[in-house]
Amino acid sequence: MALRESALKAGQAADLNVATGRANGDGNVPHGAFLVALAEAVAQWRWDDIAALREQGIDLLGSQQTSDAILVASGFNGITRVADAIGIQLDQRTDDASADFRDAVGIGAFAPREKWVA
Amino acid sequence: MGTDTQARLPVLDRVAEAHNDTLRAFGQPGAWWSGADRLRIVRETRAAPSCQLCQEKARALTANAVQGEHSSSGELPPIAVEAIHGIRNDSGRLTRRWFDDLIDMGLQPEAYVELVGVAASSIIVDTFAQALGTDLPTLPEPAAGTPTFERADDVVEAGAWLPIAAEGRANIVRALGLVPSAVELFFAAFGNSYYMRPDAEFTIGRRQVELIASRVSAVNECFY
Repeated sequence: MALRESALKAGQAADLNVATGRANGDGNVPHGAFLVALAEAVAQWRWDDIAALREQGIDLLGSQQTSDAILVASGFNGITRVADAIGIQLDQRTDDASADFRDAVGIGAFAPREKWVA
Repeated sequence: MGTDTQARLPVLDRVAEAHNDTLRAFGQPGAWWSGADRLRIVRETRAAPSCQLCQEKARALTANAVQGEHSSSGELPPIAVEAIHGIRNDSGRLTRRWFDDLIDMGLQPEAYVELVGVAASSIIVDTFAQALGTDLPTLPEPAAGTPTFERADDVVEAGAWLPIAAEGRANIVRALGLVPSAVELFFAAFGNSYYMRPDAEFTIGRRQVELIASRVSAVNECFY
């Protein structure tokens, strides 16, 4: 998972449980709690919550930063659908980068065996 | 929907251009769908959240436990509507059997791939616009012309539900490879949302980008 890689490069381990919803807080990412709330609201298309979070984001991060955060969330709302709708498997590169902790933080639950049973 | 913060949230020119290009491309003939059909796919993707059947499926333990007809405008064949609603409303629970049923009922794999590309691209562009507090983007008029019926030869079986591109640094980049124009369409829309190029940069830090990406993936129950 790229979050772990980028956090390690920055010299500080991100708490991946924040990304999977198993823990609260910033997860050792600047303004992590806010970004998680924004990501969840965008992923669930909760427009009223997003409107409120936009206001918070402008004060907390800045206007362009909030726009960029929404851009990332919007993009991943699309690309997750490509992954799920084509039924791709983990490639070796992605698997290698994440094998030691995928199950530990619950990502494996999103790939039930029946997803690929013909 | 509030628009009070719209004027205060800037959109980079390259992002606006890419999203406008995507909107224009929806109206152009594709590989397996006409421009008019591609716009119907976008409109169906936009309408899918209000589908009563999908809402009941979302509440059910398994999506297959609920049967019925999707709410739709009737502009597309039911099989395409099923595909779009599944992708838009319940993507984390899509299965190989669901996909196989679509193909058994007559949806061509190539047409499905293009449909996925159009629907997912429209989700990106529309979500971004609405999350900024603006209205849904206006769709273009459909351009005349017929589909090219393009199908890539350079594809392989790699454990996905259908063949994916033979080359590529990650399976997600290869996923739509059966229809190269679908790859082009999708990554034009997505390209500014992540580190797709060496010179990609954001005004938030990499760890922040990755956290957002990871959380959206988890909420969507995407294992990838």
